Amino acid sequence: MKNMNQQKKRDIILVGLLFVLLGGIFLAFRLLAFNEDAAQARVYYGNSNDPIVTIDFAKQTVTRHYDQDVPDAYAEDYPLINLENQTITLLGDYTVNGVRQIVVIKYDFTKRSAQIIEEQSPNNICSREGESTGWPLICLPNRVRVEFVTDQGDFTV
Amino acid sequence: MKNTRKMVLLANFLAIAIVLNIIESAIPVIPVPGAKLGFANVITLIVLYVYSFKDSSILTISRVFLVSLLTGKLLGPVFYMSISGALLAMLAMGFFKKLNFFGILGVSVLGSVFHCIGQVIGGYFVIGSTAIVLYLPIMLFLSIPAGVVTGLIAQRFLKVWQTWNKDIK
Repeated sequence: MKNMNQQKKRDIILVGLLFVLLGGIFLAFRLLAFNEDAAQARVYYGNSNDPIVTIDFAKQTVTRHYDQDVPDAYAEDYPLINLENQTITLLGDYTVNGVRQIVVIKYDFTKRSAQIIEEQSPNNICSREGESTGWPLICLPNRVRVEFVTDQGDFTV
Repeated sequence: MKNTRKMVLLANFLAIAIVLNIIESAIPVIPVPGAKLGFANVITLIVLYVYSFKDSSILTISRVFLVSLLTGKLLGPVFYMSISGALLAMLAMGFFKKLNFFGILGVSVLGSVFHCIGQVIGGYFVIGSTAIVLYLPIMLFLSIPAGVVTGLIAQRFLKVWQTWNKDIK
């Protein structure tokens, strides 16, 4: 019985400590991270580490690096870049009745932001994230992600 | 007789765990793609205390496989996140129970924390980017209340279980 009480005490101490520690990390993270303006936003597909599209906010350009490997059944060549509407359309991994669904990313040069405006997934988490200026947008069921880069240096290497 | 009872009870536990897991994946509590708080871990915890680590690990692994079969996501990106999360939570809970330093509540909270870490590791391999690690602080923070809730439920269950098990014997 004494052992039980001791364990209970330890439990409460553990929960309190974890609460303070993890809460502190979480707060520090929210306050300190991503205060800088992003120089670029990079769009990735799958588990590749080469961006498929780069949006350069400083130069106001959108560069398409390579084509998505799309089966012949899909008429378009993804990714599609629409400079007029400022959107990028990719083919995601999430399927509805066997058809892969598109992911539409909208970018803004002046606000230096990107937003996923259209996608299909069970909970629509990434489109509900809204507009982002630094926080990465990840759509796991579609395996599409948008990451922001603050320095431009590493592209010249 | 005893073995039959155990088998039936484990099957019931598995069914409850599957339902909990499916319900949970329909509620997007955390703003992290594909991640769950791990309420289905309550069954892993209960079986760990009622029976053994071996039984709870068999139950957890079959739970993850059956849920992904039922929802049609076997070997999909979310599947890898849930299996790595469930495995790490299971191992952590088994270890801390064996350590006998914390009570059931502490074991539950630690399991919940490791569940989040496991999910992020799985997500890292699926998406091939460390960007998902940025979501770890908020997930870890939310995992504490989730772990406390599962711990309290398991504690209450074990109390009922002890008197009930005595009655049957």
